[in-house]
Amino acid sequence: MRNEEIENIIDRSLGSEPEYRLPVDFAQKVSFSVMRHNQWKNDLYEYFYLTAILLTLLSAAAGLYYFIDRTLILRFFSFISENVIPVVCAVLILNFILLADKVLLPFLFNRWNRI
Amino acid sequence: MNETELISQVLKGNMNAFTFLVNRYQKLVVHITGRLIQRQDELEDVCQEVFLKVYQNLGKYRSECKLSTWIATIAYNTSINYLRKFKKFDEVEPDDSSAFRNLAESKAADYEQTDLHRYVREQIERLPVQYRTVLTLYYLEEFSYLEIEQITGMPEGTVKNYLFRAKTLLKEKLKSVVDENSLNSVKEISNEK
Repeated sequence: MRNEEIENIIDRSLGSEPEYRLPVDFAQKVSFSVMRHNQWKNDLYEYFYLTAILLTLLSAAAGLYYFIDRTLILRFFSFISENVIPVVCAVLILNFILLADKVLLPFLFNRWNRI
Repeated sequence: MNETELISQVLKGNMNAFTFLVNRYQKLVVHITGRLIQRQDELEDVCQEVFLKVYQNLGKYRSECKLSTWIATIAYNTSINYLRKFKKFDEVEPDDSSAFRNLAESKAADYEQTDLHRYVREQIERLPVQYRTVLTLYYLEEFSYLEIEQITGMPEGTVKNYLFRAKTLLKEKLKSVVDENSLNSVKEISNEK
C-alpha cells in the first residue's frame, strides 16, 4: 500500500507540467523575428542585385566605347571629367542612399527593436 | 491542418502557418528546454533559437520520424549546447549517491498540509540532467524508448536504465521523508483532486 501510494505520487508528479512558462505572444514574436531575419537577407540580396545592374550598365558603356560609337562615350566622359566632383558625389550619395535604405536602416531598426 | 500540409505551407513562406506550428509545438519545446536549462530568464531566448533552427532546417526534414521527435531533437541539442557553454552539463555518467545527497533535505512535515506532488517536482528539478531529460521525454511528452534514443542519441538500454534509476532515486527520497501520517494526507489530497 505504502509503495503503491508513493508510486502513484511519483507517476502523477512526473506527468504534471513543469512551471516554466513562455509569454502568451511567444509564437507571434518568433514569427516576427524569423521575418526580420529573412528580410535582412532579402535586403542584402536586393542591394547586390542593384549593384550588379549598375556594373552591367558600366560594362555596356565600355562595350559601346570600344566596339560601336566612341564619340558618344567620349562626349559622355568629357562631361564627367568636366564635372568630376559633382558626379562622383552624386554617385556616392546615390549608392549610400541605396545601402542605407536596403541594408543599414532595416538592420539598425531590428537591432534597436530587439533591445 | 495535418503535418505534411503544415510543413509545405511553412516552406512556401506562409508565416501564419509558421505561427501555427510554433503554437502547436511550443509546449513540447518549453518542457524540454525548461527542464534542461532551468532558467526562466533565459528560457524565451533559447526557445526562440530552437524555433529559428526549426524554420531554417525545415527543408531538410524528412518524414523518417514524427515532426515532434525532430523538433524535440533540436530542442534537446540546443539546450545541451547552452549547458555546455555555461559548463553546467555533466558529460559523465550520473552518480546516484551524490544525486541522492543533492536532493532537498526538506521534511515531509513541511508538505503535509500542502502538496507532496510539488515536493516530488522540486526533487525532479534537482536530479542530474540526463535523468531529467529522459523523465521529461518519457513521462511528460510520452515519447517511446526508440524516439528518446533518436532525440538524445542515448542507446535504448541507457534510456531505460536512467528512467529506472531516476525513479528509484525519487522513490527512495520520498520514502525517507514520508511517514504513515503524511501518506494519509496524500490520500486526502488525492481524493480532493
